[in-house]
Amino acid sequence: MNTTTTRRLWRTVVACACLAFSVTWSQESKTVLGPTNADLHAGAEALMSGDAEEGVQKTLRGLDYATSNRERVAGLSNLCAGYIMLGEPENGLPYCNQALELNDRNWRALSNRALAYVKLGRFEEAEPDLQKAEEIAPKAKTVKVVRSMLLDATNPVAPLVIIDDRRQGAEDDET
Amino acid sequence: MRRRYHPAAAVLAGLWVFAAMAQDNIEVEYLPGDDSDRVPLHTVVPLYPEKARRVRLEGEVEVCFKVNREGRTSRVAVRRSTNRVIEKPARDAVRASTYQPWPNDQELSGIKTCRTFRFHLTPVAIDKPGG
Repeated sequence: MNTTTTRRLWRTVVACACLAFSVTWSQESKTVLGPTNADLHAGAEALMSGDAEEGVQKTLRGLDYATSNRERVAGLSNLCAGYIMLGEPENGLPYCNQALELNDRNWRALSNRALAYVKLGRFEEAEPDLQKAEEIAPKAKTVKVVRSMLLDATNPVAPLVIIDDRRQGAEDDET
Repeated sequence: MRRRYHPAAAVLAGLWVFAAMAQDNIEVEYLPGDDSDRVPLHTVVPLYPEKARRVRLEGEVEVCFKVNREGRTSRVAVRRSTNRVIEKPARDAVRASTYQPWPNDQELSGIKTCRTFRFHLTPVAIDKPGG
């Protein structure tokens, strides 16, 4: 896989992870007046727009006053994603670990940690996280993309198309 | 009445296949038909769908179509396929492909023919520096 494709793929992964928080936040915002944690929300928005530095800063700030477990998990998972976006998966990994200590069935954090492992070349460690994420969210595109990145790293393939023009039963239409 | 076979046309068709291979980084194998009525002129190679490649999906599609006097394809339809995700690229490739036009003295108005596309993924060796 070339560099551009890889970059596009992991940006999709991170963006989807960030979206998770936005959705969480917007669902919560239906029941309260104003954002419960404006920094976490702004951090997620920044990450989604590709501004990893801003996203990490705001998410770190937002985590200082996160009130619910759900907020903390989403923030930590996003922080992990942010560091991966910055090209520092080793710094993101501890945040994914923290998110999963709080909720070991958060598929986005599992997917992000698997991605961090893939980026670090720790493919064997990525596998169980990915399997668990696939079990929890079998249709999630994010998880599929990380699976593809893991496969590309461990089992790369090249497309081959065979075009077979040998006669296969179609008849002439003569007039 | 049968058309004469033009070996040069087959060579041309082969060249197009390989041109597409270089462009899209897809390996291509072409198995020519032994039929002199349908000599490919411009053979377009379908793109391997990223979605299929991502999940390591392989498969086969048979597309049937008509070739008119000018060598253009029409009534392109999938006759059988192992997965829907590879149908569209196969159909699109046939639509964009052309055949050798027929001489004016030819009585045929059109040929119905089929082309099979086999989508495979071949393992690539990993070069581990220092490994």
